[in-house]
Amino acid sequence: MDDPYQILGLKRDATADDIRVAYRKLAKKHHPDLNPGDKSAEEKFKTISGAHDLLADPEKRGKFDRGEIDAAGAPRHSERQYYRDYADDGGRTKYRTNPAGNAGADPDDLESFFSQAFGGRGFAGGRPTPPANRHYTLSVDFLDAANGATKRLTLPDGKVLDVTIPPGLRDGQTLRLKGKGEPARNGAQAGDALIEVSVAPHRLFRREGDDVIIEVNMSLREAVLGAKIQVPTIKGPINVNIPAHTAPGTRLRLKGRGIGQGHQFVELKLVLPTGPEPALNAFLEQWKPVHEFDPRAGLLDP
Amino acid sequence: MMKFTLLIAQFTDLSAAELESWIDAAWVQPEPAGASMQEWIFHDIDIARVRLIYDLRRHLATPEDLIPMVLALLDQVYELRCSLHDVQSAIQAQPSSVQAAILAALRRG
Repeated sequence: MDDPYQILGLKRDATADDIRVAYRKLAKKHHPDLNPGDKSAEEKFKTISGAHDLLADPEKRGKFDRGEIDAAGAPRHSERQYYRDYADDGGRTKYRTNPAGNAGADPDDLESFFSQAFGGRGFAGGRPTPPANRHYTLSVDFLDAANGATKRLTLPDGKVLDVTIPPGLRDGQTLRLKGKGEPARNGAQAGDALIEVSVAPHRLFRREGDDVIIEVNMSLREAVLGAKIQVPTIKGPINVNIPAHTAPGTRLRLKGRGIGQGHQFVELKLVLPTGPEPALNAFLEQWKPVHEFDPRAGLLDP
Repeated sequence: MMKFTLLIAQFTDLSAAELESWIDAAWVQPEPAGASMQEWIFHDIDIARVRLIYDLRRHLATPEDLIPMVLALLDQVYELRCSLHDVQSAIQAQPSSVQAAILAALRRG
């Protein structure tokens, strides 16, 4: 078995929630009973379940992380009969909306004839097979997804794929590498590699559409008097002006500093001095504001 | 074939009450073999269907009220595939010229 983190498209430091979410997403897609026409679904589902069993158990995950067991030590999923094995065997079952008699259907896979019709393949010369795609998952950093990057993906067979991450790639997007799936054989074209990319969350940035949001602290002095501060953006730090008299919660827009045409927004938070400041207390006690106002005006109105 | 109690024992966290509720809702239809549900007989397809519902609930986090919809859609998919199987067999029983004509017509779609 391959690296369970890679199978689920997770980073090493994924939380239990990350694992559950990634597993559910892939299991929903590949459960064999939800994919009666896809013979490879069973193997995929087994791989995904195996990876999940290993990572969902903190003890096994710890052992795997420390290298005490390898991924092959994950519990084997014993051969199992899926619902599709009965419901899709060409016979009719009781779980039908219209229980007609059995018309002696051919248990051959349904795709054999219709793929010729709908797959646009030639009819003469035997039974051409449709090109087979391969599915992979890849986890990329927030910044790589935002700015674009090239990622190297090592396949189970040892081959290496260079995957170009286009700038602005979104979480869950699938990239298609033409001709990088199953190689061409018996008249079938080479399949494509379909790579589902998950974008890892960033410590500072978060994405809203094409905009990038970052929370930045300011001191009381900076909020009142204004300041020039340095703020990271997805392309590196830039200088930002905090105007005098800036309320906490204010969003400063850094035009064009987001993803593509998007902007970056700096959400300013107020941080008070960490220790006691007697001079500040003394000042506030004798301070008479020029504009007296009630910050809670209307709060208790019915 | 399996009895109710043996089937329950295949799962670590499926209670008799939950399986009974699935039977009550007709999501799974085992064969009555006695007065109580405990005596009902589950054929292979019923067992596989219980596993499917179990997967939907436990692994895929499908809300309970969506299960009837999911099952109804799945039943229709399988039924359609069954009908397509029949069509396919009928076509494959035709002379190759007829098959070619049908394929050509389908491709023109």
